[in-house]
Amino acid sequence: MAALLRGLRAGRTLRGLSSGKTGPTSRVVAAPSAVNPQCSNLNRGFHRAALRLQDESKSDKPPSSSSSSSSSSTTYHEHYQATEHDTAAEASQHDSASDPAAEQPERPNTSYQDQSGEHGEEYETEEQLQSRILTAALEFVPLHGWSMEAIAAGAETLGLSSASTGMFYNGAGDLVLHFIAHCNSQLTEILAEQHKQVQLGQAEPKKTADFLREAVETRLRMYIPYIETWPQAMSILLLPHNIPDSLKHLSSMVDDIWYYAGDRSTDVSGSSLNVRPTTSQMNWYTKRAVLTGIYNTTELVMLQDSSPDFQDTWSFLDNRIQDVVNMASSAKQVQSTGEAVVQGLMGAAVTLKNLTGLNQRR
Amino acid sequence: MFQRRSRGQKYTFWLRDGFRDGESEERIKSYHRPHRRSSMQKSEYTCDHRPRVYKVFENVAQKYDIMNDAMSLGIHRVWKDALLHVMHPQPGAQLLDVAGGTGDIAFRFLEYIRLQEERQKRRAARSSQTPSWQDISNNYSTEDESRESRAVVCDINKEMLKVGKQKADSLGVSAGLSWVVGDAEELPFDDDQFDIYTIAFGIRNVTHIDQALQEALRVLKPGGRFMCLEFSKVNNPILSSIYDAYSFQMIPVIGEVIAGDWKSYQYLVESIRKFPNQEEFKGMIEDAGFYCVKYYNLTGGVVALHSGFKL
Repeated sequence: MAALLRGLRAGRTLRGLSSGKTGPTSRVVAAPSAVNPQCSNLNRGFHRAALRLQDESKSDKPPSSSSSSSSSSTTYHEHYQATEHDTAAEASQHDSASDPAAEQPERPNTSYQDQSGEHGEEYETEEQLQSRILTAALEFVPLHGWSMEAIAAGAETLGLSSASTGMFYNGAGDLVLHFIAHCNSQLTEILAEQHKQVQLGQAEPKKTADFLREAVETRLRMYIPYIETWPQAMSILLLPHNIPDSLKHLSSMVDDIWYYAGDRSTDVSGSSLNVRPTTSQMNWYTKRAVLTGIYNTTELVMLQDSSPDFQDTWSFLDNRIQDVVNMASSAKQVQSTGEAVVQGLMGAAVTLKNLTGLNQRR
Repeated sequence: MFQRRSRGQKYTFWLRDGFRDGESEERIKSYHRPHRRSSMQKSEYTCDHRPRVYKVFENVAQKYDIMNDAMSLGIHRVWKDALLHVMHPQPGAQLLDVAGGTGDIAFRFLEYIRLQEERQKRRAARSSQTPSWQDISNNYSTEDESRESRAVVCDINKEMLKVGKQKADSLGVSAGLSWVVGDAEELPFDDDQFDIYTIAFGIRNVTHIDQALQEALRVLKPGGRFMCLEFSKVNNPILSSIYDAYSFQMIPVIGEVIAGDWKSYQYLVESIRKFPNQEEFKGMIEDAGFYCVKYYNLTGGVVALHSGFKL
């Protein structure tokens, strides 16, 4: 039902286009997808098309959409006609840059109903726009560092003026956090893909230590293009107002890695009664704290590593993970040794009691 | 912050009050009228007050900056600096300062950009102590390409612009500055020209604020920013009573002593009270089509800085 409504709304937008307002050819191309129920993308794509329009030449405005409306299916046709005026409103709001003179008289009246109807879409578009600007800005980071200049350059490649950087109240912090979130989501995708492969039986499940090692390496390799400016990024992340966000990203990444490594524990206490591999005997917090420590130290090593393809970093990582494994196994050994020692002492005590006759019950 | 009004053909009722003698009754009535722009617009009529208004601003123009300092006790400089800090313009940005009069915002803008560029050059010099051949060749090409930042000051009153030009000459600032006569409701510029549009203490005097906002939307580039500095509602009751007392008792007196014009400054104070409050104005900006609209209260709400983006 919601999909149908979205389709109607998309249909209305197209009708607005055909009612005499202008539109670029990209919108005509978008028309056939109106029949597709997933039309919320159309509205967003609409907004982006508006942005692209503002870049492209405004001089030639192809007669838009008598062709588009004819190409759409007849089921939507009657809806188009009924809601022509509404679409004029939407179209006018989005076309404001391209056709101001004709639309200025209408805009004050129509924008009220528009903003209430399109409110949800607009907010999504704003955040999507911000993330698009930040993604574009990442290209300029090697040149300008993690700063507002990089964001301004990114905005310019999208056709927006550099003044739009004012949207980012946290400035460079926004850029760094966006990059970190992007890397984390990429890592999650890769791990999920590997997990799926294992589930389907197409790949062998890895041992925990290997899995952790590969996950951390994959994640750190994403920093390689920005490694020269990475110290600046780390210092930005350490600013007090950025610490909560950066800790949140770090902890969610570590949690994801352990989840895909097969750790499903939710409780705090580790159960030591069963015989299990050593790594799973550590409890939830210990595991994540350990991995956080490994990750952070490896990141620091990577910053000053000058070996080819960061070989030193990966060997450092290997050693740290090996340390953890050894520590876990030695912890188990200590525990079992301790138990054995206790049992031995108990036996000796009983023997002594027997010898001295204290165990006699006569 | 007494700025010129919009184009002279139509005047709203409250405008008329500030200038006709023997109309004190209307003046009091208009002061107590509720703050709705629509009711004010209903009583529009065409009347040629323009020569008289023009004369007033001619007188005010010479003393304008002094009056600003006296009335706001110099705090207006802090407000304007805050505007620049929030704006944080990047080198190469094009500014349009509407109702810019004596050019305060434009001068600060050019200074800010100059400092930014110096900082960037210093940073570049520090990092490239031994530039590679590629850096050197890049430097040759970018020196011509980089856009120069430009500030255009637009005002409806020629006298204010003249005073601004004199100030610019005395400060030795001339590159990248232009002075244009124009009306905020009908700007003499093409679409999509400017990165930043500012109007400092001027939008209060525009007859049709929504038209001015739409013009701002039109001349801004996509991604451009609209910024408006204006007097607004003080929420704190203690501060509000002090502010009211100061406004109604002191400011017209200062106006009479320094500029010889009691009525204009009384009108100024009354028009400040009539302007919509922060939230209402934010709604008007959003209605005009701006996104991410936000406002900052300065000095406890005496002045509000509204900012919106054309996306």
